[in-house]
Amino acid sequence: MMRKWRGSALAIGRGAAPFVFILIAWMLVTRTGMLPTMFLPPPSDVARTAWEMLKDGSLWINIGASVGRVLVSLVISVPLAVGLGIFVGLRRKLSPVVEPIAGFFNALSGIAWLPLAVTWFGLGWLSVTFIMFNTIFFLVFYNTLVGVRTVPRIFEHAVRTLGGSRRHIIFQVLIPGAMPNIVTGIRMSIGFGWRALIAAEMIATSTGLGFLIYNASNFHQTDTILVGIVTIGVLWLLTDRLVLQPIERWTVERWGLVSSDR
Amino acid sequence: MERYWEVASTWVVILAASIAVWSFAAATLPVPDYFLPPPSAVLSAFVELMTKGMLPTFIGESLRRILFAALLGLFVGVPLGLLLGISRGIADFAYPVLNFFQSVSGIAWLPLMLIWFGFGERTILVAVNYTVLFPVIFNALLGVRSVPPIYVNALRTLGASRWRIVRDVLVPGALPNIAMGVRLGLAYGWRALIAAEMLVGANGLGFMIFNAQTFHLTARIMLGMAIIGALWVALDYFFLRPLEEATIARWGMVQR
Repeated sequence: MMRKWRGSALAIGRGAAPFVFILIAWMLVTRTGMLPTMFLPPPSDVARTAWEMLKDGSLWINIGASVGRVLVSLVISVPLAVGLGIFVGLRRKLSPVVEPIAGFFNALSGIAWLPLAVTWFGLGWLSVTFIMFNTIFFLVFYNTLVGVRTVPRIFEHAVRTLGGSRRHIIFQVLIPGAMPNIVTGIRMSIGFGWRALIAAEMIATSTGLGFLIYNASNFHQTDTILVGIVTIGVLWLLTDRLVLQPIERWTVERWGLVSSDR
Repeated sequence: MERYWEVASTWVVILAASIAVWSFAAATLPVPDYFLPPPSAVLSAFVELMTKGMLPTFIGESLRRILFAALLGLFVGVPLGLLLGISRGIADFAYPVLNFFQSVSGIAWLPLMLIWFGFGERTILVAVNYTVLFPVIFNALLGVRSVPPIYVNALRTLGASRWRIVRDVLVPGALPNIAMGVRLGLAYGWRALIAAEMLVGANGLGFMIFNAQTFHLTARIMLGMAIIGALWVALDYFFLRPLEEATIARWGMVQR
C-alpha cells in the first residue's frame, strides 16, 4: 500500500510540499508575535540551534547513544526471543500454557518496568537496556510463538504424508510459516522499543535524545527541544523506510501473504 | 473441554510454583529487602492501598484518561482519517505530515508540553490524546487509500453515486486498517500515559510506581505493574477484541 508513494522525484516534491506549508505557517505564527519566542521559537532559530549542535557534535553524540541502545537491545533480545519462541511453539502441550503469560508481559512492556529497573540497576545504561530488553523480547517472543502455533496443521500433515521428517516440518513448514509473524513482532518491537527508550532516557540516563529534550525543558530551551523532536521523527522515518519496509516486503513477497491488489 | 482443564490446572501449578520460588528467593537471597520483597508483601501493599483508598483513585484516574482518549480516537480520529482519505489530493498532502507526527510519540513532545501547559493534568491529557489520535487518523487514511481502485471503478461503472462508493466500498475496505490503528494507538497511548504520569507526577498508576521507587517501596511497584498489565489485558478483552470482531474478523483478517 505504501508503494504508491515510493519513488520518483515528483513524489518527493509532493511529499515535501506539506512540510513547506507547515514551515511557512510556523514562520508566520512566530514572526508576527502571535506566540512568544519562549513558547515557540521561529524555524530559523531551530535551524541555527540544529546547525550548532551538529557542529559541536552534541547532537551526534545523543543520536549515537540512542541508536546504539536500540541496536544493542535488538542484538541481545531478538535472537533469544525468536529461538525461545520457536522452541516453545513446537511443544504443543507447553505453548498454550506459556502463551497467556507471554501475552501478559507483552501488555506490561515498556516504561512500566522503569521503577523496578532503577531499583535493581540504579540510574544508567543497565536500567535502560533492561527496559528495552523486556519490551523487545516479549513482543518478538509472543509473536513468534503465536506464529508457529497458527501455521495451519494441514500443511504439516501434507508434508508428513509425503514422508517428511520432523526436521522437514520444522524447517520447511513451521518456521517459514511463522516468518510473517516474526517480522511483524520485530517491526512492532522497534516501534515500542524506540518509544520506551525516549521515555526511559528522560528519567534514567544523562545521554540520548530523550535526555536531550527533557533536560532542555528544564532550561526552557524550546529550540533544542524542537531539534530533538524533529531528529526523533526523522530517525524513525528513516528506520521505517530503509529497514522495516524492505524487510517486510521481502518476507511478504517471499511467502506471498499480502492480498495481491496490484 | 478436557484440554481447557489441562491448561487451567497446569496454570495453577505454575502459579503456585513461581510464588513458592519467589518467596524462597526473597527469604534466602542475600539482598536488601527492598530489592526483592516476598509475594506476601505485594499482597499486603494491595490491602493497605485499597483500605486507604489510594489504589481505586489511581486506577480510576488512569482508566478515565485512557478511555477518554479511546473514545476521542474512535469518534474523532476515525472519521477525520476517513474524510482526509476520501479525496486523493488531500490524502497525498496529509499523508507525509501524519506519518511524521504519528512516528514522534507523544512522550517526545512532553518536554515542550511541560513548557506550554505546565506540570498538570492538561499536559498528561494532551500527550495521551496526541499519542492515540495520530496512529488512528493515519491508519484510517491509509485504509481508505489502500482499497483497490478496481472496486471503486466497478461500482462507478454500475452507476453508483459518490456517497454510495464511500459507504459501500471505501469505509468497509478501510476497516482492517482502522482496527489496526485503534489497537496501535491505544497500545502506544497506554504506555505514554504511564510515562506522562511518571514525569508530570500528579496521580495515576504511573505516578504510583514512580513515586514508590523514590521511597524504595518495591512491593508497591510490583503491585502497580501487575495492575497496569492486567488493565491492558482487560482493555484488550473488553474493548479492542469486540471492536475487531465487529469490523475485521468477518473478513478473516485479524492480526494481533
